[in-house]
Amino acid sequence: MAISLRDLSVDYTLPQGTAHALRGVSLDIRKGQMLGLVGESGSGKSTVAFALMGLLANNARVTSGTATIEGRSFDLTKRNATADLRGRGMAMIFQDPMLSLNPVFTIGTQLCEVLRRRAPGSDRKTRVAMAQDALAKVKLSNPQRRMNQYPHELSGGMRQRVVIAMALLSEPALLIADEPTTALDVTVEAQIMREIIGLRDRIGCAVLLITHSLGLVTEYCDAISVLYAGEKLESGTVKEVQRQPGHPYTRMLFDCEVPIDCERHADASENRFTVIAGELPDPRQRPPGCIFNGRCDVSFEDCAVIDPGDYPIGNHAGHSARCLRLQTP
Amino acid sequence: MTDAISISQAQLRFGETAALDGVSLAIPNGSCFGIVGESGSGKTTLMRAVLGLQKLDRGEIRILGKPLLHGRAALKERAGFIQPIFQDPAASLSPRSRIRTLMDEVGTVLREPLAATHERLHVILNRLGLPPGVVDKYPHEISGGQARRVAIARALLMKPSILIADEPTAGLDVSVQGDLLNLLQDIRRSQHITLVIISHNLAIVRLIAENAAVMRAGKVVEAGEVGSLFGSPQDAYTRELLAAWPSVSAAK
Repeated sequence: MAISLRDLSVDYTLPQGTAHALRGVSLDIRKGQMLGLVGESGSGKSTVAFALMGLLANNARVTSGTATIEGRSFDLTKRNATADLRGRGMAMIFQDPMLSLNPVFTIGTQLCEVLRRRAPGSDRKTRVAMAQDALAKVKLSNPQRRMNQYPHELSGGMRQRVVIAMALLSEPALLIADEPTTALDVTVEAQIMREIIGLRDRIGCAVLLITHSLGLVTEYCDAISVLYAGEKLESGTVKEVQRQPGHPYTRMLFDCEVPIDCERHADASENRFTVIAGELPDPRQRPPGCIFNGRCDVSFEDCAVIDPGDYPIGNHAGHSARCLRLQTP
Repeated sequence: MTDAISISQAQLRFGETAALDGVSLAIPNGSCFGIVGESGSGKTTLMRAVLGLQKLDRGEIRILGKPLLHGRAALKERAGFIQPIFQDPAASLSPRSRIRTLMDEVGTVLREPLAATHERLHVILNRLGLPPGVVDKYPHEISGGQARRVAIARALLMKPSILIADEPTAGLDVSVQGDLLNLLQDIRRSQHITLVIISHNLAIVRLIAENAAVMRAGKVVEAGEVGSLFGSPQDAYTRELLAAWPSVSAAK
């Protein structure tokens, strides 16, 4: 196990009260694996990333949680617990590359800064050469010229490549990619995903891909974890979860995806789209029972009362879901 | 039958770049037309040109058979039958006025008694699944999904015969996205409006539209009936777009 996260809970203090953004979330990512963390907006998936990186906003408080990264244990309830790892053991790719690059410094300066931290003592020439090499590795055209350019001179896809090159230079044990392709076009998205896979294979790190696109997860990830309203409802290998979703929410999420080759009614106005009815529960006050109870299509009486445990599914190690229907008496 | 929108040889340059480079399209009345393509391909510019918000360098646009004119009077008249839903709904709602003020303005434009506007608004809000109390709120007090529905409600209140939606599902969760698309489908059927959907989501366009056009760098590279366009694409770029689409492939 390269990375494991245990029992992460995060609260946000808001004027309206305390919102429990995450409740006891645990994740495991093996070395060289990519885990897709999926969930809708408000499910807390970005909070997981921010808690790991120590980038949570001032009104957030980690109430419990430990992370084990390459054998070292970190108590996430302490402020800046993982500060030591930033830029050395952990790297992050954000949704908007414009915001993660500094607009007033050249690409080269920003890449070399990573190396100053990663490889102190190296001379400038080596650093520049390494930075250029990294840009070439992420297939950015004309790396020599890019080094002297500013972020605004590059397109969105090129900027994201620069951020990936930065991650490549820091050789992290864990790479967190938070919606890395949401701001990009489909053809660029495919290229960027290939670069992230390439980076993973080159340095053998674990990747946490945070996304709302099940398409991306099924195409590129090894394992999947489904987050809903701050709780992890299901986790397993992509293959198993897709073949036999253990939680009704996972099944409904898969049903909502519109495949490019799905059945099409001859009269286009007759085509319908799948919806998950209902709304997210109030994050300030968790209703008793299963968190998904109000929107579930197969719920029964006990669902409103009993908080389900994490039950294994089939004989497959690591595939489990929190649904009372999986409970074996 | 006259086309709802017909565009012939539209040309527009922004400095060095050709935003529209000889675009010709015919959008039949009462149908749903999809425009797909990457960012920067000219989709939104085309929409703005059709709405009369952007003057063309060359070419002609006809709306319901009549040539598109510029000027205040023409713009005002056009508002009666062609309505947009912009990409960023929050940006198309004034942050300083309550939703009600925005809706009342529609009544002023239509020269309709306020009571009649409110009555129609009530029906539309109900249909869109928005609580009646939403009109007393400011744009910042409602969620992104609600803001989008408010933008649609405003557009529908104008009783348009053509509705142009720019990326209507961008930034929405899959569970909510279906809701909005079903709603557009219902509106289409019950009010027989022409719907133009601009989107980079190929899967959605494939399901909702009868005809579609693929744009790249200001040009229409391929257009036609959706079934054949997506089933057997002729242009290399269309094939590239389709191949890049990440799909939930059946478990192997």
